[in-house]
Amino acid sequence: MRPWRAQRESNPHQRFRRPLLYPLSYGRCFKAIIASPLSYNITNYEYSQRGNMELASAPKNTLIKINLKNWQIRSEITWQIRNYFRNLGFREAETPTLRPSLIPESYLEVFKTQLLDRNRKGKKMYLAASPEASLKKLLSAGFGNCFEISRVFRNSETGSDSHQPEFTMLEWYRVNSDYIGIMDDCFKLFNHIYISLKKKSLIKSGLPDGTIQYSGKLINLKKPWLKISMSEALKKYAQIDFDNITDKDGWDLNSRFPAVKISAVSAKKGYQVSEYDSWEEIFNQIYLNEIEPHFKGETPVIIYDFPRPMAALAKLKEDDPRLAERFELYIAGLELADCYSELTDWREQQARFEEETKLRKKLTKTPVKWDREFIMALKSGLPLSSGVALGIDRTAMLFCDTKNIRDVLLFPFE
Amino acid sequence: MSQVSTSGFQKGMFILFRGEIHQIVTFQHVNPGKGSAFVRTKLRNLKTANSIEFTYKSGEQAEQVPVFVKELQYLYKDGSNFVFMDNSSYEQISLSESLVGDFGKYLKEGEIYQVYMHEDKGLGIRAPKKVKLKVTEADEAVKGNTVSGAKKIVLLETGLKIAVPLFIKTGDIVSVDPESGQYVERVNS
Repeated sequence: MRPWRAQRESNPHQRFRRPLLYPLSYGRCFKAIIASPLSYNITNYEYSQRGNMELASAPKNTLIKINLKNWQIRSEITWQIRNYFRNLGFREAETPTLRPSLIPESYLEVFKTQLLDRNRKGKKMYLAASPEASLKKLLSAGFGNCFEISRVFRNSETGSDSHQPEFTMLEWYRVNSDYIGIMDDCFKLFNHIYISLKKKSLIKSGLPDGTIQYSGKLINLKKPWLKISMSEALKKYAQIDFDNITDKDGWDLNSRFPAVKISAVSAKKGYQVSEYDSWEEIFNQIYLNEIEPHFKGETPVIIYDFPRPMAALAKLKEDDPRLAERFELYIAGLELADCYSELTDWREQQARFEEETKLRKKLTKTPVKWDREFIMALKSGLPLSSGVALGIDRTAMLFCDTKNIRDVLLFPFE
Repeated sequence: MSQVSTSGFQKGMFILFRGEIHQIVTFQHVNPGKGSAFVRTKLRNLKTANSIEFTYKSGEQAEQVPVFVKELQYLYKDGSNFVFMDNSSYEQISLSESLVGDFGKYLKEGEIYQVYMHEDKGLGIRAPKKVKLKVTEADEAVKGNTVSGAKKIVLLETGLKIAVPLFIKTGDIVSVDPESGQYVERVNS
């Protein structure tokens, strides 16, 4: 904090001994108009940016609040993720977030923008909601096992403690593997991160080996995780038989489940059901109210085999086409990862895109131009593979023991 | 009663849930696995004071209970009921222990409180941020015990016991945060 220092000349034979001023470094030679936040409080500081002359201690209008310890944990996590996949021999990819077309996903709202050429003629562009399409194009070109840590954008997801419009996502793909292989990866990755954080004493000490603390509860990462299928969970927690809410037939491959049976079950349980509700909405309400609350325990949970209307880009199960090979990972109630055995059949993928586009229109979401190149890539042959998206911000929340995503970001969005 | 959509939800709002009046404690928007949108709420049943979590489909309607706030004077405790009086109409209203909840420990006879009303029934008390109460019993601070942060337990006029710093004496007025039950400051009156 003292960029200038008065020094006497060192030569005693000099005739005029007057003090000379010279800068010690040219790095910070301008006048500070607000107190340096780092000198204010190194572990947890706030400062105001509203007026130039407002000083650091102003309690209102605080724009920046940083928890440096959380940031250290987060940066260690991303570092260790790269380490882990490099050691496995995965290739790291970097794919564009500014894209001319996207995968249509019914419920995701997107960011639309314009690319201007030299004559200021505009072209529609989008910010990617996930690197999935690009990575699968690489897979079909023979890129092999790969991973990417990228920024992704999802619109109209504010006002939540676990969502941000811009966030960081890890995706990795394993060739010649189905979702079982990825379950294994998840387990090993989390334990790898745990061990590295523990070595640097970034995990609360005094806890039993393999455990972390999250909002007052112990979470054991080392013991085998609970793997439960969606229909088992339905029976166990909501007392619903999957056959009672779906028809074995009576729907063709390109249509969604009819909502008749499930509406009756849901209404009986006391939920509000209207004739406009889709099967998926009704199912999700039961899932969120009766099943998901059980995933906050000591053991991480993998829930697998999702109903077809929630399949998106997942492969259907061969023995029961009402289910898709998809799983989600929950640790301490945090929804951390979403994995598919990838759908490789381009005809079915195209049909699903058309269906999703129709649904987007019905839901009045921004229309997106869908990625034809992606279908081309599937046509040229996507190898048998499985991939997963894991939220890095939420992983950081888990290891930082915080319930608010803003605590693990340097510049969070309200 | 009017209908309110999930987008109109606010903290502290009173709604009808499964036939009973509930207050919205917190609410959050969620999208499970890129799926359709939902609103996760924590609701407090005003009759039983139990909290439950419920997830609404985004856009679902709930019945809003029209509630207004009335200033009432607290008179006395009658069995398990707290009796209040409207000073303009001299009408008496009693609130059960479960409706008042933890705030019952801070109620002082003769004081005016803000009470949530639905038609002519009381629903609960709008707790102020701070409550000022007199200390009726406090031990003398032990000499030499000057470790910073040292606390002692004192008795307040409502019968509540709280931890305060050592300099508090009998007869002092302290302000307490009713939500956390913690000492805030000494009030110089």
